[in-house]
Amino acid sequence: MQILICVKQVPDDSIEIRLDKASNKPNLSGVSMVANAFDTYALELAVRFMEANGGIVSVLTVGAEDASNTLKNCLAVGAKEAYSVQDPLYADLDGLSAASVLAAAINKIEQDRGQKFDLILCGQESTDEITGQVGPMLAEKLGTSFVSRAIAVNLKDSALEVNQETEEGYNVVSIETPSVVTVSKPDYDPRYPTIKTKMASRKAVIPTYTAAEIGAEVQAKVRYNEYVEPPKKEAGIKILEKDVTLAVSAATEQMKKDKAI
Amino acid sequence: MKALLFIETKGEKVLGGSLELISAAKTLDAEITALVVGDRAAADTVAAFGAEVIFVDASKNCCDTLTEVLTKTVKEVNPDIVLLANTAFAKDMAPRLGARMNFGCVSDVVGISKADGKIVYTRPAYGGTILEKIEVEGTPVVTVRSGSFSKPEATSSASVTEKTVEISAEAIKAKIVDAVKEISESVNLEEAQVIVAGGRGMGSAENFELVKELASVLGGVVGATRPPIEDGWISRAHQVGQSGKIVAPKLYIACGISGATQHTSGITGADYIVAINKDEDAPIFEVANLAIVGDVTEILKGMIEEMKKIKAE
Repeated sequence: MQILICVKQVPDDSIEIRLDKASNKPNLSGVSMVANAFDTYALELAVRFMEANGGIVSVLTVGAEDASNTLKNCLAVGAKEAYSVQDPLYADLDGLSAASVLAAAINKIEQDRGQKFDLILCGQESTDEITGQVGPMLAEKLGTSFVSRAIAVNLKDSALEVNQETEEGYNVVSIETPSVVTVSKPDYDPRYPTIKTKMASRKAVIPTYTAAEIGAEVQAKVRYNEYVEPPKKEAGIKILEKDVTLAVSAATEQMKKDKAI
Repeated sequence: MKALLFIETKGEKVLGGSLELISAAKTLDAEITALVVGDRAAADTVAAFGAEVIFVDASKNCCDTLTEVLTKTVKEVNPDIVLLANTAFAKDMAPRLGARMNFGCVSDVVGISKADGKIVYTRPAYGGTILEKIEVEGTPVVTVRSGSFSKPEATSSASVTEKTVEISAEAIKAKIVDAVKEISESVNLEEAQVIVAGGRGMGSAENFELVKELASVLGGVVGATRPPIEDGWISRAHQVGQSGKIVAPKLYIACGISGATQHTSGITGADYIVAINKDEDAPIFEVANLAIVGDVTEILKGMIEEMKKIKAE
């Protein structure tokens, strides 16, 4: 089975991002760019599938920034091939244009490697924009089947079955390949690289394509007009009373006053 | 301008978030057509709010079917804007519709305004620490966060038109072959007016019972952050936050919750937030209207007694 993970490079999501007042843009200075968390879950799911059923796991990123570090980190945790599409034309992609670029890149890569992908995985959403649009849009651009919120992918009589997370548990969804599947969080965490895999990944040569080579026209329809800070909440009232009974009565008095109860 | 609303239903009940779309469309002075799939009674409910309804009898649990029905309806109605409540289904359908029709897609919108004849959408990014103001060229597909608009008022009834949509076999590429139920309780956090939530600071499953008790006394719903869920104190049906539910209650009481962005981004819609934590510098206190610094177990025990007395009055 040929599996491809589409990886997005995003600011480290353990850091709180705030507005930079000078530029009126998100302040990303000093924040490292890493593989989107959900994409790392997708990669781990794919690598486990490959270890159980055979096949190859590849990773792909598209954009204007250099993503070679992120891609090498993916190679260090089980991906066998990495591809990059890097072009200044691809800065500020909206969901639709990102999906178009990915689709064109996938077509080009399949041509060059002489083999199509059976399963294309995306994290269900990225931690920066949190729209979750690219996965479903990519499925439409490629004309494949689509399932979201996967927590497991199983081979059943040479067809694929996806466990899709629901509010009450999960659906088992039978899909035709090729398929685009977005991945939620399975029960397990992504693995860590070993010193050996890390060193090997540093030496990897990653095919990099430009916009001209994959031939995707980009026309973003969604434009960011402005960034603003959410309305600041007025400083609340703090009760530091050590006596529990007094603290509780002060709290309930305040809540009554504020008509919260 | 013409707005097409996709109305989601559960059984015969119309989702609150879908009804709120009617108010959203009204702020744009749009002529409203609502699409209801599968539940005929729900179609009548929506028509009672003055929205012309198109009803299609088709399987509403199949994403491929719903996307096909929505796409064909959009092609027929030719709206200037498509609105959906931001639910799990919408997260799939809206972008798929966008890609099929080459429409820009804006997700998780919390505000819509008009400026210089253009429509501007406001939505949170980076977990809610930054708001984006967005414009879309051409017809947009917009998913709206629950609680961002008020419920509409019932006006004169509009009509329901039944339509049939042909779905070719090729359109169905993913089929649900089994639905496994692991959680039997049904928890409605999105529409709850009162939520009492517990985090890692509760310490144990036994202490977490106090959170449930206070919720019960106040007639509210129990919420939780990720750690209590991962430790098995409560099911993930109660998760509040970026990976769980986004809530907008009148009263939110956060017990032993530190206030990481992944959680607080889900509660900014609450009218009044009370936080109880032993750490005076816990980030949750930055978003709380009322902060109680102290031992959460002791405070909760006291608060449960106080609230019981108040309810008895």
